Amino acid sequence: MVTAATKAGQGPFAAARGKVLGCDRCGTCLPVCPLFQVQDVERASARGKNALVRGLAEGLIPPDREAQEALEFCLLCRACTDACPGKVPTEEAMLQVRQALADTLGSTPLRSRWIGRVLRRRRMVALGAATLAGLRAVGLHRLLPSQLVPRETSRQAYLAEHAGPALLGAPGPRPEPALHPGAKVAYFQGCGMKLLFPDASRSTQRILAQLSPFQQPDHPCCGLPHLAHGQREAFLELARENIRAFEAADLVVTDCASCGGTLKHLASWFADDPVWEHRAARFSTKVMDLTEYLAAAGYRPQALPGATFTYHDPCHLARGQGIRRQPRQLLEQAGRLIELAEKERCCGGSGSFHLEHPRAAEAILRRKQEDIQGTGAQVVVTACPGCLIQLTRAAEQSGGAFQAMHISQVI
Amino acid sequence: MTTFTAFEPEVLDGFRDAVGREHVIESPLEVFGYSYDASFLPLDRNTMPQAVVRPRTTAEISRVMALAHQRRIPITPRGAASGRTGGSVPLQGGIVLSLDRMTSILELDTANMMVSAEPGVRTVDLHDHCARHGLFFPPDPGSWKFSTLGGNVAENAGGMRAVKYGVTRDYVMGLEVVLADGSILETGGKAVKNVTGYDLTGLFVGSEGTLGIVSRALFRLRPLPKARGVLRVVFRTMDEACAAVQEMLLDGVTPSAAEIMDATCLEAVARARNTPVEEEAGACLILEIDGDGAEALEAQSRRIEAITGRAGCIAFRSAASREETEAIWAERRGLSSAVAAMAPNRLGEDISVPRSAFPEVVRRINAISTSSRLRIPVFGHAGDGNLHPSVLCDLADPDQAARAHQAVDGIFQAALDLGGTLSGEHGIGITKRPYFANAVGPVSLETHRAVKRALDPLGLLNPGKIW
Ligand SMILES: Cc1cc2nc3c(=O)[nH]c(=O)nc-3n(C[C@H](O)[C@H](O)[C@H](O)COP(=O)(O)OP(=O)(O)OC[C@H]3O[C@@H](n4cnc5c(N)ncnc54)[C@H](O)[C@@H]3O)c2cc1C
Ligand code: SF4
Ligand code: SF4
Repeated sequence: MVTAATKAGQGPFAAARGKVLGCDRCGTCLPVCPLFQVQDVERASARGKNALVRGLAEGLIPPDREAQEALEFCLLCRACTDACPGKVPTEEAMLQVRQALADTLGSTPLRSRWIGRVLRRRRMVALGAATLAGLRAVGLHRLLPSQLVPRETSRQAYLAEHAGPALLGAPGPRPEPALHPGAKVAYFQGCGMKLLFPDASRSTQRILAQLSPFQQPDHPCCGLPHLAHGQREAFLELARENIRAFEAADLVVTDCASCGGTLKHLASWFADDPVWEHRAARFSTKVMDLTEYLAAAGYRPQALPGATFTYHDPCHLARGQGIRRQPRQLLEQAGRLIELAEKERCCGGSGSFHLEHPRAAEAILRRKQEDIQGTGAQVVVTACPGCLIQLTRAAEQSGGAFQAMHISQVI
Repeated sequence: MTTFTAFEPEVLDGFRDAVGREHVIESPLEVFGYSYDASFLPLDRNTMPQAVVRPRTTAEISRVMALAHQRRIPITPRGAASGRTGGSVPLQGGIVLSLDRMTSILELDTANMMVSAEPGVRTVDLHDHCARHGLFFPPDPGSWKFSTLGGNVAENAGGMRAVKYGVTRDYVMGLEVVLADGSILETGGKAVKNVTGYDLTGLFVGSEGTLGIVSRALFRLRPLPKARGVLRVVFRTMDEACAAVQEMLLDGVTPSAAEIMDATCLEAVARARNTPVEEEAGACLILEIDGDGAEALEAQSRRIEAITGRAGCIAFRSAASREETEAIWAERRGLSSAVAAMAPNRLGEDISVPRSAFPEVVRRINAISTSSRLRIPVFGHAGDGNLHPSVLCDLADPDQAARAHQAVDGIFQAALDLGGTLSGEHGIGITKRPYFANAVGPVSLETHRAVKRALDPLGLLNPGKIW
C-alpha cells in the first residue's frame, strides 16, 4: 500500500519533512513567533509553516507560488526552536523547503532573485558600494527608497556628540595582545557592511588594527541570501570560494552576525561531499564574531562617560551562535548599558524580508521601537547589518529619540 | 482541494458582511492551517474547513451562527488548537469559527474578586492581569501560555495545581453563550449563591464546543499566595510515593502541586540531561507549597518532611534558592520531551482514577508494559489521580504498532475497571470517541444525546465529536 506518508518519505520535500517530523503541533511556539505576533493567522506561525511542509510532502497542498510565498514568510530567527519542547528546527526546514520549491517551480520568487544575482558577483557589490558611497557623499541617497538605503550614523558624528571634557581625559587602556600571539587574523567584510554601513566597517577595521595586523582577502558573499531563497548551488559555490579565500588565515573575524552564523555552520551543507565537508568544518572553526574575538583578546574599549546604550541581540548572534555576554561586556566598558525588553525578539530585518513583506516588517519594527524608547538609552547598538537597517529606520521614525549604531562604532 | 465544494458566493458574502472581509479565510492554503490541532491525528484533506470565520464581538458571532443555521452549515469552534483530542478539527467541512481575535479582558472586579473576559484571551494573560492586582486565577493547564479561555472552558482544563485549587469548572461563575440559531444566552452571574433554575453554566463547561459558542466568561478568583516553595522527594517505589501524598492530604497539608514520576521517567530525564540515574530511585515527587510567607512555608515543609520520611523516602530536598526552584521545575517541564526522546513514537494518554486507585492502576500499566513488550513510563498529578502513561513505540513497525494500540486499549480498560475515566484533562474529541459509549453506559449516552438534540437540533455544532 502506498500511503501519503510513504510517498512523502521520498518526494522532493522529503528532506524538509524530515526536519519537522518531531513537530506534534503543540502550539508552544505560537506566542513567540514575531510574525505570528503581527499577523495572527495560522499560516504565519511556526506551527503553521511546519504543517505546510508536511502538507506539501504528503500531497495535501500543491507546490505553487502561494505555498512558496507562505514559506518565504519566515525571519529564520529561531525563536520558535528556542521555545519548542522538541527543538524542531523550523528555520532549517524553511531553507530545505524553499530549495525544494525553487527546484520544483524552476525559480525563486521574483523579488529575491535580483538580490541573489547582485550579491553573487563581487564586482557588482563593489560597484554598488561605490555608487552608494558617491550618492551618500552628495546626499542623494535620500532620494532612494528609504527601505533600500539606511542613513548610517557615523562614529565621527557620534564622538562629536559625546565630545566634551571627559573625552580629553586619560586615553582608554591599551589593548592587550591578540588571541594567540602571531595568529593570522583576517577580516570577513560581509556585503551588508560593505554596501550599507561603510563607516561601521571602517570602525571594525580600526579596532582590528589596534590589536594586530590583519588581512583582508578578496572574497564573495557568505551565501546566506542564496540559501534563504532556494539557490543552494550558488550558495555552495560561494562557500567553496570563501573557504579557499581564507585558507591562509588562522582566524576569520566578521562584524556581521548573519555572515558569522552562516560561516560557522557550513559543513552540514556539504554532507554529501566528504572532502568539502572536512574543509568546511575546518574553516568554520576559524570563524569568530567581532565581539567574541575582542572579548577573547582582552580588548578594552575607551569609556565614554555619559553614553547610554541599549543592545538588540541579533538572532544570528544570540540564538545562532550563543553570543550574548561578549557584546554586553564591551558595552558596559564603553558606557552604561540599559537592557531592552524582549531583547532577543527579532527586529524583522532578516535579509531582504523587509523588502518582501514591508507591512509585517513595519509592524514588528514598531514594537521594537517602542521597547527601545522605553529604555531611554541614547543609542541602540547591535552587531548585524541586517538588524541595523531596521534599527536605523526605527531611529529615524523616533524623530531623533535615539540613534542606531553598530557595536564597532561605539567601542 | 477539499472534498467539500466551495460555498456559494452569497454565503461567503454573508460571512464577510458579518465579520469583515479580511476576517474570512478561504484560500485552501490558508484554511489548511485550521485542519489540525495538537492531537496525533494525521494531517488530512478531509478535515479542511471550507472557510475560517474570525469574529470580534458577540454580535458578530450571533450573525455568523444565524446564517450558518439558515444555510445548514457545520460550525467548529476553535481557540488556539492546542487541544489533544481533535476537538477543534472540523469533520464535516463547513466553517471553523476561530475565536482568537476576541482577546479583551472586560472587567476585573476586585471587590467581588471576579473577572470577565472574552474567549480568545490566552490563559496566561488573564493570570498575569489578575496577579498584577494581587488576585489569582488558578487553572493552569500545561498549555497555559498559548491556550485560550474559550478552549479551557470547553475542555474544562486543569493543571498541576488542581490538587489544591481545582480545575476550570471550579472558577466559572457565569457564561455568555451564542446558541446554534444565533440567540444569545446568559448564565450564572456574580451572586455566589444562585439556585435559580438548572445549572446551565455547568452544562457548557466541558461541552467541547458541541452545545454553543462561549463568547464571554465570568470567573471567580482567589487571593494571590504570597510565597511559594518547591520540594523534591525520592522514594523506592510508586506505592510509597502515592501513600505519602495520601497522608499529606489526610493530614491537611495540601501541596499546591504534587507531580509524580516513575523510574522510567527518571531514567529519561537522566538520559536527556546526561546525568547518572539515582540509585534505588523508583519514584519521585515534585511538590509545590504555597502560603502567606516564609514561615508558613517552612512549617509546611517540615510537616511534609516528617510524612514523607515515615513513608520511606530516600532523599528530600527543599529548594533554597530561586535557581534551585527553577532547576527542579525544569526537570518536570522537560519530562514530556525527555520521555518522547526515548522512542520514535509515543502514544501519550490522559486517564484519571480515584486517588486511592493510583498505585493499583500503575501496577496494571506496568503489567501491560510487560505483556506488550513496550516501555510505558508513567507520570502525572498524584494529588488528583490524573496520570499520563506514554506508550513508547515505533509505529513504522506494524507489529509494534498493533501492540501499542492494544496497550492503549488495555490502559483505558484498567482505568475504567478501577472506577476512573478516559480523560482527566484532554476531553474526548475525536481520538477517544470510540471508547465513550462503553465508558459512560447507555443511560448517560442517551442523556447526552437528549441534551444535544435540545440545544442543537440540526446537529451543526462541532459535528462528529464525543460520541
Ligand atoms: C503541551 C500541551 C500541554 C497541555 N496540558 C494540558 C493540561 O495540563 N491540562 C489540560 O486540561 N489540558 C492540557 N492540554 C490540552 C489543551 O491545551 C487544553 O484542552 C486547552 O484548554 C485547549 O485550549 P485551546 O484554546 O487550544 O482550544 P482548542 O484546542 O482550539 O479547542 C478545544 C475545544 O474547545 C472548543 N472551543 C474552543 N473555543 C471555544 C469557544 N469559545 N466556545 C465553545 N467551544 C470552544 C473547540 O471546539 C474544541 O472542541 C495541553 C495541550 C498541550 C499541547
Ligand atoms: S514547532 Fe515545536 S513548539 Fe511549535 S508546534 Fe511544533 S512541536 Fe510545538
Ligand atoms: S524562525 Fe522566527 S519567524 Fe520563522 S517561524 Fe520561527 S519564530 Fe517565526
